[in-house]
Amino acid sequence: MALQCLPLRSALRCRPIPSLRRQTARFASTTPSPIDVAALLSKPTWSVASLLPSTSSSPSTSSTTITSKQLHHLLRLSALPPPSSPAEESSLLASLSQHLHFVDEIQNIDTTGVDPLQGLRDETKQGEREQELGLEALREALGREKVVGRYHRRIRRVRDAGKGEGREGVEEDMGDVMGMAGKQVGRFFVVEGGKKEGG
Amino acid sequence: MSVPSVRLRSLKALPALYTRPGYTTRPCYVSKWLQSRGLQVSTAPPPNAVPLRKHLKDEAKRKKADAKAGTGLRRDNAVTARLQKWELTVGIEVHAELNSACKLFSSATAASGDSTAVPNSNVAAFDAALPGAQPQFQVATLLPALRAAVALGCDIQRKSGWDRKHYFHWDQPNGYQITQYYQPFAKDGAIRLSAEDGVPEEDLLGGRSLLIGIKQIQMEQDTAKTTHHPPSSYHIDYNRSGHPLIEIITLPHIHSPQTAAAVVRKLQSVLKAVDACTTGMELGGLRADVNVSVRQRGTIGSSSYSGVAGLGQRTEIKNLSSFKAVEDAIVAERDRQISVLEAGGIIAGETRGWSLGSTETTRLRGKEGEVDYRYMPDADLPPLIIGNDLIDHLRDRLPELPDTTVERVQREYGVTEKDARTIVALDDGDRLEYMEATVELLQPRLLDVDDLKLGKLAGNWVLHELGGFLTANNLCWSDLKIYPIDLADIIAYLTRGEITSRTAKQLLEYSNDDSTSRRVGDLIYDLGLLLRPLSDDEYTELARTIMDENPGMVAAVKEKGQKGKIMWFVGQMVRRGEEGTIEPGKAKEVVERMLAE
Repeated sequence: MALQCLPLRSALRCRPIPSLRRQTARFASTTPSPIDVAALLSKPTWSVASLLPSTSSSPSTSSTTITSKQLHHLLRLSALPPPSSPAEESSLLASLSQHLHFVDEIQNIDTTGVDPLQGLRDETKQGEREQELGLEALREALGREKVVGRYHRRIRRVRDAGKGEGREGVEEDMGDVMGMAGKQVGRFFVVEGGKKEGG
Repeated sequence: MSVPSVRLRSLKALPALYTRPGYTTRPCYVSKWLQSRGLQVSTAPPPNAVPLRKHLKDEAKRKKADAKAGTGLRRDNAVTARLQKWELTVGIEVHAELNSACKLFSSATAASGDSTAVPNSNVAAFDAALPGAQPQFQVATLLPALRAAVALGCDIQRKSGWDRKHYFHWDQPNGYQITQYYQPFAKDGAIRLSAEDGVPEEDLLGGRSLLIGIKQIQMEQDTAKTTHHPPSSYHIDYNRSGHPLIEIITLPHIHSPQTAAAVVRKLQSVLKAVDACTTGMELGGLRADVNVSVRQRGTIGSSSYSGVAGLGQRTEIKNLSSFKAVEDAIVAERDRQISVLEAGGIIAGETRGWSLGSTETTRLRGKEGEVDYRYMPDADLPPLIIGNDLIDHLRDRLPELPDTTVERVQREYGVTEKDARTIVALDDGDRLEYMEATVELLQPRLLDVDDLKLGKLAGNWVLHELGGFLTANNLCWSDLKIYPIDLADIIAYLTRGEITSRTAKQLLEYSNDDSTSRRVGDLIYDLGLLLRPLSDDEYTELARTIMDENPGMVAAVKEKGQKGKIMWFVGQMVRRGEEGTIEPGKAKEVVERMLAE
């Protein structure tokens, strides 16, 4: 081992690592034991199971408990129907608390100094330069304007009946949207308002 | 064909303009001009018709008497006392529809405010929120948005983001609105107002103008249009869904209802001038929400809003759709809040509504009904990155802002401030263009008159004379067939003293006639409208004739000293004399001289 270390050390051209020297000194006559991978891996430090609440622990010990009132508020925000029976409500509460436990575990990770990801995009300088909307990108739109007046000059957009154009081309015509109407009067969609329900 | 009969023939056509159905005459003297022609209009003025000037004078006297009666005065005193104790603070959020060809995230045609498009005909897949439809940012919508931000002096952020504001409503098909909550594209602007914009004296605090800060401007989507069909059904038109809007949020620097209305008016005029938002408030292109709070003068409240601390609890009034509504709603809400606080209550932070003609705001939503919008960045859209070259290009070529234009018109054309403001605002700037063209044409025709005088003349004619002509004939500006060159000729002849002012007004009539292609000079020659000045003797003779016929009036002036009646004599002379001969100025001199004898 010592013979093998020598060229390595000179190749690295740095001071020998003390522990290595000690090891080589101690085990000069025998080969040092390799890193015990099996031993290292025998004791798990994390398990996927930690993402779910353990069945042994009672729901009340978890840090985030939701009350029935909160559940109803969330269902209203999501435009979902309220639970039809107490059994359904307790099952909803149980599954919601499992979700919240999962979220808590994820949020425990230290993310100081890390910006939240908003989308998978090219965030390099080159990518940003490509996405930049400058004079070139707006040249066509600028061409669709005219200057009105000789003394009092004003800019006016030229109005025509043509459809607009997206950056990647004209959107395909999807036909008449009234085909989707469940209920209609003439060319309008109809919604029955009924009594006003909060918000 | 003698000249007079030619003149009469074309004049015979004129009564038609004054007797069209729908044209109502005042119950007082119809135009003196018509009567002087000796033409019979279909109905004679009623026998007890009151002369217009007398009518106006009586009204003014009556109003003054009412005010002095004391009830009005007492109420005003009470209000001012209240205002001295309580200070109002207002912040405004204006939503303005951008002038763009397509919508914000789809290439469907954007409906303009007054379009007559078939309902639900400009709806793309994303506007109808079809599952799987993706938004695609339309770059052309950046132009009006950037121009608006530059015109309001904002810092354009290079990088801004799109966020989702979640709430359920039938006019929001996606279940969320795409807006710029966390990173708006423009921040920290300002708008300047002066007393002529409508700011009351006490707000100016002795300064010449007031600077209202703008916190930010952001782009967002509009919702669909719903119309209520009682009892409970709603008709929805998705043409407007996805239309680009900008939201302009001002800082709470506004301290009176009149200033608030002035801010909204000024914003509308600035946005119109840079072609960012061309539909006005009355067409639904501009909507305002106001945040109102009061506090006792000298105290510090516990709320803060947009970084301004020490304010009282605020309430929000949504969906105000006219300038008057903004002012009235703020007054009503201020009074309500003061009453509640003076009675010992507290103001709840709620959302309120206002309808035209109400006396108090109504509660729409309390704090417990406050919607949780769950703002989150939209993952389907890349961030908006705006290049500096584009901003510089737009800034260099930004059209003149209304303040600059008014100031320039006053300076270069000698027009009064009030007239300048009116001309600049009329007809989308076309009236000002016309006036400037007229002045340029007048310069070679009246070389000895100084430029400011020419400007004043042109301004007066374009604004008042042409304006009067248009209303009298029920025309709009685009129907006018009088070109700047015709107007310049008329003014030139008048200023040189070659025609009388009555003739000039007649010439307006002739020039507007489509069938004649003659220039003004030819018209004057053909119709013999040149001033044929009468000699002193002829004036004296005419004046004597009139005086002999009206000894009563003569006595009134001579003995009772009613100098006003002199103008009556002048009027009679003008009527009696032949067309294009009597000059009112000279006639007045003659009459005065004769009555002084």
